[in-house]
Amino acid sequence: MSGFPMVTPTYDRETNHMLKLVNLTKVYRTEEVETTALNSVNIHVKDGEFVAIMGPSGCGKSSLLNIIGMLDNPSSGEYWFAGEDVAGYGERKLADIRKRNIGFIFQSFNLIDELTVFENVELALLYHDIPARERKERVKEALEKVRISHREGHLPQQLSGGQQQRVAIARAVVSRPKMLLADEPTGNLDSANGDEVMRMLTDLNGEGTTIVMVTHSMPHAQYARRIINLFDGQVVAENLRAA
Amino acid sequence: MFRNYVTVALRNLVKHRLYSAINIVGLAVGLAACILILLFVRNELTFDRHIADAERVYQVIMRAQLPGRPADTVANTQLPMGDAMKGAFPEVELRAAMVQQNMTFRTGEKLFSETVFAADPEFLQIFDLPFLEGDRPTALEDRSGIILSEEVARKYFGDEPALGRVITVDGQHDLRVSGVFKKLPPNTHLQFDVLAPIGSPAVRNLEQTRANWGAISSTTYVKLKPGVDAADFNQRFLAWSKTAFPEIRSPNGIVKLSDIFTPSIRPLLSINTDPIATSMRQGTAMTEIYTFSAVAVLVLAIASINFMNLATARATQRAREVSVRKVVGASRAQLVTQFVSESVLLTLVGLVLAVALVELVLPAYSAFLGKELSFNFLSDPGLAAILLGLTVLVGIAGGTYPAFFLSGFKPAAVLKGASSGVGGGSGRLRMTLVVVQFAISIALMVATAIVYGQFLYAQNKDLGFDKENLVVLEGFSTRAMREKARSVAELIAKDPRVAAASATAITPGTFDENNTNVRMPGRGSSELLVVRNEPVDFDFFDTMGMKLVAGRMFDRNRGTDYVTRPEWMRPGGQRPAGTPEDFQMPAAVILNETAVKRLGFASNEAALGQTYLAGAGQGASYNFTIIGVVQDFHFRSVRDPIAPAQFYVDPVQFDAVAVRVKPGDVPGALAAIDNAWKQFFPDTPAQRVFLDDRIQQLYDQERQMATMFAAFAGLAIIIACLGLFGLASFTAERRTKEIGLRKVLGASVPDIVRLLVWQFSKPVLVANLIAWPIAWYGMGHWLQGFTYRIDMNPALFLGAGVVALAIAWLTVGLHAAKVAQAKPIKALRYE
Repeated sequence: MSGFPMVTPTYDRETNHMLKLVNLTKVYRTEEVETTALNSVNIHVKDGEFVAIMGPSGCGKSSLLNIIGMLDNPSSGEYWFAGEDVAGYGERKLADIRKRNIGFIFQSFNLIDELTVFENVELALLYHDIPARERKERVKEALEKVRISHREGHLPQQLSGGQQQRVAIARAVVSRPKMLLADEPTGNLDSANGDEVMRMLTDLNGEGTTIVMVTHSMPHAQYARRIINLFDGQVVAENLRAA
Repeated sequence: MFRNYVTVALRNLVKHRLYSAINIVGLAVGLAACILILLFVRNELTFDRHIADAERVYQVIMRAQLPGRPADTVANTQLPMGDAMKGAFPEVELRAAMVQQNMTFRTGEKLFSETVFAADPEFLQIFDLPFLEGDRPTALEDRSGIILSEEVARKYFGDEPALGRVITVDGQHDLRVSGVFKKLPPNTHLQFDVLAPIGSPAVRNLEQTRANWGAISSTTYVKLKPGVDAADFNQRFLAWSKTAFPEIRSPNGIVKLSDIFTPSIRPLLSINTDPIATSMRQGTAMTEIYTFSAVAVLVLAIASINFMNLATARATQRAREVSVRKVVGASRAQLVTQFVSESVLLTLVGLVLAVALVELVLPAYSAFLGKELSFNFLSDPGLAAILLGLTVLVGIAGGTYPAFFLSGFKPAAVLKGASSGVGGGSGRLRMTLVVVQFAISIALMVATAIVYGQFLYAQNKDLGFDKENLVVLEGFSTRAMREKARSVAELIAKDPRVAAASATAITPGTFDENNTNVRMPGRGSSELLVVRNEPVDFDFFDTMGMKLVAGRMFDRNRGTDYVTRPEWMRPGGQRPAGTPEDFQMPAAVILNETAVKRLGFASNEAALGQTYLAGAGQGASYNFTIIGVVQDFHFRSVRDPIAPAQFYVDPVQFDAVAVRVKPGDVPGALAAIDNAWKQFFPDTPAQRVFLDDRIQQLYDQERQMATMFAAFAGLAIIIACLGLFGLASFTAERRTKEIGLRKVLGASVPDIVRLLVWQFSKPVLVANLIAWPIAWYGMGHWLQGFTYRIDMNPALFLGAGVVALAIAWLTVGLHAAKVAQAKPIKALRYE
C-alpha cells in the first residue's frame, strides 16, 4: 500500500472543493456503435456538501457516479479529487485513493451473502492496516449508528431490505470516508425505510461527510442541498436549495 | 484477514454443495491416484539404499553377443572371473561371487527343498545384513556352516535358537547353522533365504564351474574403494577381459570368449530400475516409472482443470463479493491471494479425503503389486512434506487462473445490477480446457486398450506348444537323480491318467539356456554359428504338443537316433590319453525353424539329411544328421525373439520330466506323478509345477502394469466426467432463461436436450482429433519394443472416441433432461 502518493484530503484551498470535474467526457465504444454517456460535464462539489444527481434512465447518472467513485476512468477531461487530477490514474492508484476517501451505498445493498452483518461491515476495514481490536470497536460503533447492533450475527438474507441497507450504510461509513457515494440508495425500499435511510444520510452529512447521491425520487432528492439534473450526458440544471 | 478468507471459503463450500463435492471428490481422487503412484515410484527408486556404502557397491553384468542373435545382457558372470579379478584391480575393495543351487534340507522329520546361494565370504562384508544370531563378517568362513533367514530358521527350529544346530543337506552333508539374518526388507533386489559358503561340501560341480569360462551362471558383486569412478573402472575392466577371458576350442576352431562376452559393472542402486531378466528379482524399468509418473501428473491436471473450469464458470456468483471487496479497497494482489488460498484450502480438504482413500486401498494395492508399500506420513517427514507440497502445488495450479479471472472484474457493472453483470466468463477457454481433459482421457483410453490388447495377445499367442495340463517335474539335483529321469518318466507314462511323459533338459518358461558352437561342413570357420542345445527324450515333442514341419521324429528303435557316449564322456569322466583330437559322436538332430534359417538352409526340406558338427564339451563334438524340423516355439515370453535350437536325445543331460496329464482326473494324475517320484527318491521332496502357471509368471509384471495403467486411466476419465457434469449443471442453470424462452417459443424437451448435449459433444469430438495422433505416435513407439505385437486398429481409436462421447452424453443428458422438463414460467420469472 505504500509507494503510492498518499492523498490526504487537503482540498482545493481556494474553493474548498472536494471534487471538481472539468469537461469530463465518457464514451463507450463497441465495434460498431459509439455511445456518449457523458458530454463535457463540469461539476464542483464542495467539502461537506450533499448533492443529489437526477435525471431519466440512460442520462449518464451511473457513468458519472462510477467515475466519481473511481470505478471507471473518463474518456477525456479532468477529475480533480482533493486537489489532485486523478483522471489518468491506473487501477491500483485509484483503488488506494478510493479506499481512503470514499464510501459506497448501492441500490441493491450488495452485502455478501456468506458473511454475517458484523463481518460484512468489518470487510471495509480488512484492507486497511487496522488492528483487530480497533476494528471490532469501529464496527460496533458503526452498527450502533445505524441501529442494527442487535442483528450483528445474522446473515443478510435474514434481514429486511431496510435493515440490509442500514448494514450497507454502516459498511460505507466504518472506514470514515470523506465522501459517500449513494447510487439510488432508496430504490429498493418502501417509503418508510427509504425515509429512514435518508435521515441517516442527512445525519452523516451533518457530521461533515460529503455526499453525492443519484436518485429517481424527487422527495428524497429534497434532502440534498443541491440538485444536479443530467440529460443525455449533460448537466442541464443545477438548483441550489435554500438550506 | 486470512480468517476472513477462510470464513468466506468455507461458507461458500457449504453453500454450493454440488460444486464443492465435484471439486473435492475430483481433487481427492486425483490426489489419491497421484499418491498411490508416488508410493510405487518412491518404493522403486529407493531399492537397496539401506545397504552400507550402497553407492560404492556394484554388480557385474555381462553383455552376451551370440552370433546370429540379438545381444542380450544378463546379471550373471562366469564363476572363475571373481577369482581372476583378484589382484588385477587394486581399486576393488571387496568382491564376492555367488552361485545358486537347489538342495534338500532335513532336520529330524522335516524335509524341504531350498534354494541355496553359495557365496564367497566377502559377500557378507559387502552386504551388511542384520544378523540375529552368529557373527556376520565371519559367518561364511566356516565351510561346514549354513546361514538361514529368520523365517527359514523358524521353519526348522521354531522359536529355539538355530545357531549351532545341524541340517542334513541332500542326505549326505551335515551342516551347522552359523548365522541367522533378519528378514530382508521388501525393497532390496536380494532375494534369498539360505546362504552357504561357496566352498561348502554341499555345493555341487564347484570345480567344473570354477574352470568353465563359458558358463554364465554366477552372480558377482564388487565394492570399489572410495573415489573410484565406475566409468573409468569399466574401461579398465573391459580391457582386462580381453586378455583374462580365455580362448576355447570348438568345432569351429578357437573361439575368443571376449568376442562374445563383454563384462561391466552397474551400480547396486540402479539394479531395481534396470531390469535384467536373470536378476534375483524382477525390477521396474525407468520407462515404467516415467510412464506412471506422467499418468499421475495427467490425472492431477484433469482434476485441476475441473477446479479451474468450475471456479471460472461460477464466477458470476462471486462477482459481487469481488466487487464489494474492490470498492472497499482490496487490491488485485489481495484478491488473487484470497482466491489462491481458497483453492489451496479446497485442495487441503481434498488431501484429507485422498489420504483416507489411500489408506483404504493401500492393502489391496500393495498386495496387487506384490510389494510392501508404507504410507506413514506421520513418522515420515519426507512423505509429509511431499504431500503438502503436492497440495500447495495443485492448489496454486488450479487456483491461479480463476484468481486472476475473478479478481479482474470491473465492480461498477456488477454492483449496479441485481444479478450478474458478468457474462459466463471465458466460455471459450473453459471449452478449451474440457477439450484438453478429454484429449488426455481419450489418449489414456487408447493407450490402455493397446497395452491391454498387447498383453492379452502375448498371453494368448500360440506358443508353439500346448501349455494346458502340462506338468513339469523338477528337482533332479544330483547326478544320481538325473540318471533316473528317463525311468521316472517311463513310470509316470504308464499311469492311465497321464497322456504322455518325457524326460528332458529343457522346459519353456525358464531363463536357463545352454548354447553350443556349430560348424557346417564345407564352409569356412570364419563365421561363428551358435545354437541352443536342447537334449530331449524320444517322446518330448509329442508330450509338449509341438508340431513337426518336416522330416520325422526321433525313433527309439533306430540306434543312430540317440547319442551314445563313451564312459569318459559321462559326467565325472576323464578324457583318456590318446583320444583323437576331433572325437565325434554321431546322432540324429531335429532343428527348429529358426535354426534352419540360421544354419543357412534354403528350406526345411533342404536341411533334411544334412550333417554338421556341434560342440559337446570336453573337446568332443556331436556329428549330427538332421532328421526333422520342428515348428518354432517360444522358450520364454513372446517379448523375446526365438533363438535357433537343436534337439537331440542325450540321456545324461536330462534333469526334468514333462508330463501331459489327461483333463479328466488331474488331482489323480498329480498323485500318480508324486508317487512315481517317491518310488525313486523317497528322501527328496518332489518339485512340480504346471507349465501354464510358470508361463503366466513371465507375464505377471506386464499384467500388473497393464491393470494399473487401466485403473489410473479409468480414474482420469471419471474425474474428467465429474468436471463435465459440474459444468453441464452450471450451464443448464445459467441457460434456464434461454431454455424457458425456447420452450415458450415451441421447443420440445428433446429439442432442448439435444441443444445442451450438442454443446458438450463438440469439445469431446475435437478432443478426439487431438488425442488420436498423439496416441497413435506414442503407442506405435511403445509397440516397437515387442518382437511379436498387435496392430494398431483404427477401430480402437474410434471406439475410445465413441466411449468418451457416450460418457459425456450420459453425464450431460441427465442434467439436460431435468432442466428441459422444468416449467418455462419458472425460468422466466427468475430474472
